[in-house]
Parts: sequence; structure tokens; C-alpha cells
Amino acid sequence: MDKSMLADLDSLPEADKQRMTVMIDQLQIRDSLRMYNSLVERCFSDCVDTFKHKSLQKQEETCVRRCAEKFLKHSMRVGMRFAELNQGAATQD
Amino acid sequence: MASNISPAAFDKEQIFGMAEKEMEYRVELFNKMTQTCFKKCVDNRYKESELNMGENSCIDRCVSKYWHVTNLVGQLLGSGRSPM
Repeated sequence: MDKSMLADLDSLPEADKQRMTVMIDQLQIRDSLRMYNSLVERCFSDCVDTFKHKSLQKQEETCVRRCAEKFLKHSMRVGMRFAELNQGAATQD
Repeated sequence: MASNISPAAFDKEQIFGMAEKEMEYRVELFNKMTQTCFKKCVDNRYKESELNMGENSCIDRCVSKYWHVTNLVGQLLGSGRSPM
């Protein structure tokens, strides 16, 4: 969630501010859980192909770690670019 | 239910409802953009945990294009033209 949403809250009366904060918190929790689920699904499908063992093998674990780390870095980068677009900044091709 | 709410309170409810929908839409847009661009730009063999130069360039361009597609489709839908 971008901070600009939170900044706008300061001009609201207290009760409305509280309500908006609750709304944003719930949205944030839902969003985090959704991201968690989709990341598990993505990394599992990319990293786990064999089922000779029921525990994760070393190679699979390494792959999952890299997948998750890459996704988080990717998400941060997308967030920065998304914020720029929202502010109407010109971008080079 | 509506009869118990004053006009001012009703307006406030509508405003809160719209604000919530707007926020949900923006979060959903960001999530779809993130997942789409990850799928298109990131090599799924995960040789290392850092994004490489090619992946970074692709991500930046993907975000920009996705944004433009979102606006373009929005315009087409808004103009009343049918999807066909």
C-alpha cells in the first residue's frame, strides 16, 4: 500500500480516520495472505517435479529460496515503477 | 434500513464504499501486474536469487506496457464500444 493513502487520512475527523485505518489494515492483511498463497503455488510448481521422497530435497529447497527471494525483489521493483506511473512521471522506452 | 440513515450519513456510506472499492481495485491491479510481469520476465530456473540486468529491464518495460494496456482497455470499454 502506498503511503499517500495514509497521508490523506489526516484531514478526516477521528471516527472516520479510525474506520479508514481499519479498512486499510484489513486490505493489507488480505493482500499479504493472498501474496503468500500465490508465491507458494508459483515456487512449488517451478521447483518441485519429483516425488520419490516426501521431504524437500536440497536442490528443491535452494530453488524455492531463490524463487521467493527473486519474487520479493521483483515485487519491490514493480512497486517503484507503479508508483512512478501513478505520479505521471515520464518513462523512457 | 435506508430510512434509518440521514442523507448526510448515507452520502458518507457511499463515499466509504467507493473508497474501499477503489483501494481494492488498485491492490488487485498491482497484484495482477506483478504476477504477469514475473511470469513473463523472470527465468524460472532460478540460478541465483538476484534479478539480472535483462530481467530488470524487462520488468520495467513490462510494468509500463501493462499500465498502457490497462488504460487503453479502459478507454475502449468506457467509450461504449463493445468488446467484439
